[in-house]
Amino acid sequence: MTEPKKRRGCLGCSFPILIIIIVVFSTLTIVGFLAGPIGQNLFSSFGVNIDMPDWITVPAPEPHLPAPELFKLFGFIPVTNTIIASWFTVIVLVVVSVVVTRRMKIVPGRLQTAFEGILGWLFDLCKSIAGDANARRFFAVIATIFLYVVFNAWLSLIPGFGSIIYGTGGHEYELIRGANTDVNTPLALALFSFFFVAYFGIGSLGIGWFKQYFNFGPFFRSVGGVFKGKLDFMGIFSGAIEIFVGGLELLSRFITIISFTFRLFGNMTAGEILLLITAFLVPYILALPFYGLELLIGAIQGFIFAGLTLVFVTMAVTPHSEESH
Amino acid sequence: MEAEAVRLLAAGLAIGLGAIGPGIGIGILGYGAMQGLARNPEARGPIQTNMMIAIALTEAIGIYALIVAIILALL
Repeated sequence: MTEPKKRRGCLGCSFPILIIIIVVFSTLTIVGFLAGPIGQNLFSSFGVNIDMPDWITVPAPEPHLPAPELFKLFGFIPVTNTIIASWFTVIVLVVVSVVVTRRMKIVPGRLQTAFEGILGWLFDLCKSIAGDANARRFFAVIATIFLYVVFNAWLSLIPGFGSIIYGTGGHEYELIRGANTDVNTPLALALFSFFFVAYFGIGSLGIGWFKQYFNFGPFFRSVGGVFKGKLDFMGIFSGAIEIFVGGLELLSRFITIISFTFRLFGNMTAGEILLLITAFLVPYILALPFYGLELLIGAIQGFIFAGLTLVFVTMAVTPHSEESH
Repeated sequence: MEAEAVRLLAAGLAIGLGAIGPGIGIGILGYGAMQGLARNPEARGPIQTNMMIAIALTEAIGIYALIVAIILALL
């Protein structure tokens, strides 16, 4: 009785495949090290000059921070390269949704299971933060914000984003760039969440929602008490502080718009510049762990944006239970 | 000193000094999360979720400093 041939090797691959992987990886490492500026400068200081052909070296990165306008649509609408990327994201999301829901089965296939998992997790998040009654109302907007931000971030890692060159007006620009790297996309999402919170705040508390920002009630009540004969310094003092706190709350509401914008914009732009620089330093190898980091950061930033919007709108809808008078 | 030199110096200072605060802050958050996890290993899910939220908010402050440095150095 012969035993079956044992598979030696590690990581689940058989031995020959492991050898091939190691060889390819070390070749890429050596070629990348020599083609980047580290290797070039190291060897030129020894006097050895290694010339790499043009298609191996990577040019130095020059990121254009304001997104450059590429062409005009219908003659008067300027289209930048980040707008093309956001159209691409929208098309991908719509196509995936149509494909998944076209023939929905009770026992789902794999793609449907994946999307049910994502949306189920988001709905559980809404229920855990906003409570069962409100989760259904907020879920559509929160899921939209989350999926839009995450797909913008992840699709910008596909090869082609930032490397296809489009020459116009004497300059050469990238044809597509990740949509979150333009200041306008996070700004639009932040304004959207600001009006979302205001809409639900006014809808549930009425005009009284503004009273938490212009809180003149306690102050004037204490001052009125002076004319009635009750001198209440503590009341006047705390009333004045309440006005000040109300003004600070109003200011902080507007500052959250800016904070949302720059958190998302900063993370995404810094990630893109990091990838460009690591691709420049050691071309084929050094960028790999940073791609993983970019995936993680894209998911976390989407979760933070949607989660913080959810927290603010939940705080706006729950009635204030701290009537301390 | 020329404006160009001061601009580059300011970019380095912006991100260098600006990363001290968030670095310490994230360290303190990690410390608290480790302590909570050590006292109550069953609460791992909520501890992890809340730690992630707090870390992302703290990191945003460091990103503001990075934005200032990028604008100074490249624009």
